[in-house]
Amino acid sequence: MSFVSLVKADICSDFKKAIGRSFDLIGFHFPPNLQRIVVKPNMCCYSDYSTGITTDPKIIAELIDFLRENISSDVQISIVESDASAVKFKYSSKILGYEKMSKEKNVKLVNLTEDSNEEVKVRVANHSYTFLLPSTIKDADLFINLPKMKYMEGPPEISCALKNIYGCNPYPNKFKYHPYLDEVIVGLNKIMKPDLCLVDGVIVRGKYTKKLGLIMASSDPEAIDSAAARIMGLNPKKIDHIVLAEKEGVGNMNFNVVGESLQFFAKQFPKRSARDKIRSTVIKIGLSTLRRLGLNIP
Amino acid sequence: MVNIGLIGLGRIGKIHFHSSMRLKNARLVAVADTSKTARHFAKAQGIKKVYDDYAKLLEDSNIDCVVIALPTFLHSKCAIMAAECKKHILLEKPLARNVREGKKIVSKVQKAGVKTMVGYPLRFSEFAKIKKEVDNGQLGDVVNAYGINIWQGPFLTISENSIPLPVRDWWFNPELTGGGALIDLGCHMINLLIWYFGDEIVSVKSMLGHRFNMPFEDHALCFIKFKQGISAIVNVGWYCLQNTIKIELFGTAKTISMAIGGPAKTSSRILYTLGIKPRPASSAFYNELDYFIKCVMNDLKPSPSAADALRDLEIISLAYKNQIQHT
Repeated sequence: MSFVSLVKADICSDFKKAIGRSFDLIGFHFPPNLQRIVVKPNMCCYSDYSTGITTDPKIIAELIDFLRENISSDVQISIVESDASAVKFKYSSKILGYEKMSKEKNVKLVNLTEDSNEEVKVRVANHSYTFLLPSTIKDADLFINLPKMKYMEGPPEISCALKNIYGCNPYPNKFKYHPYLDEVIVGLNKIMKPDLCLVDGVIVRGKYTKKLGLIMASSDPEAIDSAAARIMGLNPKKIDHIVLAEKEGVGNMNFNVVGESLQFFAKQFPKRSARDKIRSTVIKIGLSTLRRLGLNIP
Repeated sequence: MVNIGLIGLGRIGKIHFHSSMRLKNARLVAVADTSKTARHFAKAQGIKKVYDDYAKLLEDSNIDCVVIALPTFLHSKCAIMAAECKKHILLEKPLARNVREGKKIVSKVQKAGVKTMVGYPLRFSEFAKIKKEVDNGQLGDVVNAYGINIWQGPFLTISENSIPLPVRDWWFNPELTGGGALIDLGCHMINLLIWYFGDEIVSVKSMLGHRFNMPFEDHALCFIKFKQGISAIVNVGWYCLQNTIKIELFGTAKTISMAIGGPAKTSSRILYTLGIKPRPASSAFYNELDYFIKCVMNDLKPSPSAADALRDLEIISLAYKNQIQHT
């Protein structure tokens, strides 16, 4: 069973303190001789942190300060993301405020699509996949996954730590993976396993955008996703990519909460109503049927 | 029967494509686009003449009019060539990137004697009702006016199942777009206000916002003083996940507030996705194209003309020039 810490972090509060507490609660200790740290935020679209869709660069900035204070001021930190079918890193890094933050904090911004890489084969659910493993991630001494928690129109139903690793795939036309998204997410998590996950739940995008004021940490991406699912009013055992991740040994669906109670945040999360869930299910079934009929639906 | 050629099959081009397929008095006979995927789409929809170069389409003597739905930086060259080929033109807004290019277009189309209309679909939406009320004097004297057009813009647009849609690189380059949200969305609202109140304007100022850290404004306020005394504020932005297109007029006798857009009902969204029901925006585009074709058939001067759209550009140019600086 994995530990997941839940910490209150008000929008105006000291994020660095909340980050430190979230690490302490799960008993995370930095390994010795860390030189290269890689942080993967969610920069999946051009909607900034205020919408609850992408990671707040202010939280990354505070994480950077925390890492430098607790490891070494010389540690090399890289913020990574790749190009996607609809979103290009060179623009998202500007629009979302990462370029400005990286200059202020003197950290590297790395577009994984332009990084050197090597092919890696992986098997998921008896299917073989070949993905590109970026050198920046391969060579990292510490890999930190810093996702958002949000609903998707599915599949998958939610996006959190496991789904965020999808953005580490350097291949830009990710659209092609959509028919096998669950397997691809799990496959990528098998070859790029983060050492630490830190969820930016300060502003969340549920049924609507809301200030939730939550920081979550865990060394297990599956456990943190399961906790996020519970907060979002969903059963992780019914979320395909979390179930598949469990089967493939990516992590542990069972988790122990430390810090604040899960119910405290679950009560406040802007959950979908039963009607919204039915709608989502209808769309999911409808889209998969249309795709099976050969229609080109994104 | 009027024969239409469609130049550009991007997001707006596709809306014109579907509108033209529904017309009773015209038919879409040719499409030009540099994208192989777009050409494949047109062929699959039964269009026989599909070109990779619009010059070839313009040479076709069978085509009476063209709909130009290209990126803004290509408007001038294409519209001038179409005028030289004696095609009537429905040109997407904004007319051009700047006043200089706009003047060239107006001069060429007037010299060629072709009918030219600029695509402002809001003129063919619910907002047309407001024009009647203003003209009938139902509002009394209008004192203040607001034109609001805030939505996801080209950057945040998502598909029906919440997947971000690709953004073409030209959108990130103000040299190619002519500016940001002010020219892109402001031209719609300025055109509407001028349609309501006339084009005699005594002052124009603006405040531009740069939330996206890009070299163009992603939101703007434009302050316009009309000669007849009306003070208007145009409020535009590309930053919001929810769409708001709104006109508010405050008169001495009556106030009007009308909005279009906003989230659609689930049932409507499903019908839109499946193509069973046209989107409200599509209806405005359809009405616009239908009106333009009627102008071509009945030898009428279409409105908004290229000259009208040039006036919009002149006001936008003044707004860019007269920025209120933040202190």
